[in-house]
Amino acid sequence: MLSLKPEEDRELRELLTKLAKDSKAKIIFFVDKAGQLISRSESPAFSSDDVTFASLTAGNVAASEALSKLLGESNLSHMFTETENEGIYMIVINGKYILVVIFDKRVSNLGIVRLKVKKYYAKILGIMERVERRIKEETMVSEAIDVDDIDLDSLFESGDS
Amino acid sequence: MPFVNFATKEINCKIVYYGPGLSGKTTNIKWIYDHIKPENKGEMITLATETERTLFFDFVPIEVSNVKGFKVRFHLYTTPGQIIYQASRKLILKGVDGIVFVADSQEERHDANLDTLDDMIENLRDYDIDVSNIPLVFQYNKRDLPNVLSVDVLRRDLNRWSRPDFEAIATKGIGVLETFKEITRQVLKTLKRNT
Ligand SMILES: Nc1nc2c(ncn2[C@@H]2O[C@H](COP(=O)(O)OP(=O)(O)O)[C@@H](O)[C@H]2O)c(=O)[nH]1
Ligand SMILES: [Mg+2]
Repeated sequence: MLSLKPEEDRELRELLTKLAKDSKAKIIFFVDKAGQLISRSESPAFSSDDVTFASLTAGNVAASEALSKLLGESNLSHMFTETENEGIYMIVINGKYILVVIFDKRVSNLGIVRLKVKKYYAKILGIMERVERRIKEETMVSEAIDVDDIDLDSLFESGDS
Repeated sequence: MPFVNFATKEINCKIVYYGPGLSGKTTNIKWIYDHIKPENKGEMITLATETERTLFFDFVPIEVSNVKGFKVRFHLYTTPGQIIYQASRKLILKGVDGIVFVADSQEERHDANLDTLDDMIENLRDYDIDVSNIPLVFQYNKRDLPNVLSVDVLRRDLNRWSRPDFEAIATKGIGVLETFKEITRQVLKTLKRNT
């Protein structure tokens, strides 16, 4: 099970925020291949549904990977999508994670983004490798999660069903 | 694989609704989406063809907070049922924490149920997941139709691991919530076992 400790979360977020500044990106997401949002840069100006964005990103990368396999390519490493004003650059990290950079094409460009991502790649990977090692060594995480307390009935509008 | 962030106190879990084409997977998660309080849900995404058949997946994010301050996010996915989308089905299973198998109770759809179950077991195996080891719930849907098989037959042929199972009429919301609650309960239990 993947988990982030508060200090790991902060480290990752700071790194992504720095990368966003450096590359003049609007926002950077860090997602796992199953579609879960792991972290993002601090970009208050950007508003969108992060969780949905993460899910669609992973679906997009998974489909492209399957396509490139059909073509006989071993593995997809990165991809680029653009709208009229925005560029979305996605790169697979260590076969497990996806880094997504969204930038305004009038403010930054693909060249800069790729260059800066290259520069930060090893650091991001380093954090995640450390996290993975920590998880492996840990025999017990924490009793902090008391799932019995979760009340599913409160999720639904009353009067239904 | 669930993801736990101890800084933001968030837990993410992925639940996949699996089953043959037109068995009612999309109807299940649409019903859940429509009945959940606005503050507990994100945006529903449907990647469908023009004829409303699921092309890649449907997605519903649900958030629930508990008293200890943890927020649990369930990501519900459905798979496309048609045989030709085998590749897409497999992609969606990546990182799955729990599965709802939505069977079509109609007699003429039983072969499709069986084929899809085989396909699911095989896809899970490719991800090194043993079907007897993962949270799993069966739903026998479309109980309102005249030509349905008995629950005993469905259970015997599909639910070989004696997991919790439910009859449902998803279009009326019958059995939908029970199924959802059971799979979340199982998923949360494994979370506890892992931590
Ligand atoms: N009679 C009946 N029809 C249902 C039931 N559940 C779903 N359907 C219908 O079956 C069709 C396929 O449902 P859908 O949810 O799209 O199937 P999916 O391919 O599994 O996502 C739709 O026309 C639904 O309205 C049910 O319990 N009873
Ligand atoms: Mg569907």
